[in-house]
Amino acid sequence: MNETNGVMGTPRPAHLVEAVLLTSARPVGVGALSSATGLTEDSVNSSLSALARRYSPETSGIVLRNVAGGYLLSTNPACSAAVERSRDEARPAPLSGAAYEVLSCAIYHGPLTRSAISGVRGVNSDAVVRNLIDRGLIAEVGTDRESPGSPALLDVTEELLVAAGSASREDFPPLETLVSEEELTRVRERLRSTERSTEVPPSETP
Amino acid sequence: MTLDPSGRALSDFTVELDVYSGPYEWLLALILKEELEIFEVPLRELVNLYLQVRNPEAPNALERDTDFAGSAAALVLLKSRTLSPVPADAEDGEEDELSPEQLAERLTRYLMVRRGAEALRASFARNAGYHPTAHVLPPHPGRLRIEPEHILEAARRSFSRPAEPSVKHLGPITVTLQELASVIRTALVRGPVPYEDLVKDMDRLRSAVAFAAALSLAHEGHLTLLQSEPLGPLTLEPAR
Repeated sequence: MNETNGVMGTPRPAHLVEAVLLTSARPVGVGALSSATGLTEDSVNSSLSALARRYSPETSGIVLRNVAGGYLLSTNPACSAAVERSRDEARPAPLSGAAYEVLSCAIYHGPLTRSAISGVRGVNSDAVVRNLIDRGLIAEVGTDRESPGSPALLDVTEELLVAAGSASREDFPPLETLVSEEELTRVRERLRSTERSTEVPPSETP
Repeated sequence: MTLDPSGRALSDFTVELDVYSGPYEWLLALILKEELEIFEVPLRELVNLYLQVRNPEAPNALERDTDFAGSAAALVLLKSRTLSPVPADAEDGEEDELSPEQLAERLTRYLMVRRGAEALRASFARNAGYHPTAHVLPPHPGRLRIEPEHILEAARRSFSRPAEPSVKHLGPITVTLQELASVIRTALVRGPVPYEDLVKDMDRLRSAVAFAAALSLAHEGHLTLLQSEPLGPLTLEPAR
């Protein structure tokens, strides 16, 4: 098979893109691929399409993922057990429910402060936030200068988007679509009934 | 989980939970140091783990049971206290009581975040088996060369006293506060004077000193400074 176009081995555009992706452990954007390879963005995009066909989960142990605003070559999840045995490493401990809630806050309401996260969840979330920062899933991205003490603002990281398989924050379903109107009505009804049951009848008031 | 009956009470009771795996006593320490959130620790599961390994025939069974019951009760108390709303006056007194509408709004917001968390958990599960390339590029040799003469030059610059900055471009100060105060007094003889008119022919230094002189005269009660709004036009008016 002729791997190159010319006698002296001028590589094809898809090969250049493939080589750059192979050496990157992080998603590489189209612009960065274009700069590295010297190809136009159109050429990079068509190369990526060709690579996506070549590295599809059905035909290869390697897959091309479009995550976190870039492209990343990864192993096929179907082969994960063999890879993990080979690397003699276990998957990281699963995240707790509280951790997913904090991440959800950061995705949908971020950047936000620790106290804002605790405000949404109704409980102190500092320990969970610390753990998620250690795992690289959220990070401090600035400070809230409007609040007393200028607390740090937290936001999602590239690692989170990669772990969730999302190309960008917009990939997550809109918050409004996550809860049905019936469910919201049920919550409001329950609140109203709780309120009625806790009200003191006028005759019992002193 | 294990429980060795010959050991000290609970020192060898180890637990395996989703959020923690290890000695029970360390779990307590982590919770007390707030390294682990009490909400993440399923207390019911913890009690079940203890009951599974509990040996009522062990010589110090009563001591173990008592220790566990005491610590578990403390955890229950801690968790329930954290769950209970803090009275407004217990913190800073700023949080007002929520109206039913506000409570509904807050619950709705939390419900959405919780559903988002569930969706995220599913996304994480779907994407758990991907491993990116482990290829790491060797350090780039770069073009930096450390030459002895460069180090000498850097050291010479670091330890040498910097040259005094030239002040030749600064002319001698030829204006005094008294002089400008006199100019202002003269101008005020004809009535109120806008500050802009007073300084329109002056350079920046004289304008600044004129302002200082006006402030000084106002302080001494010789004139009044009028300004209708912040940063608005300033008028100097003779004192009555």
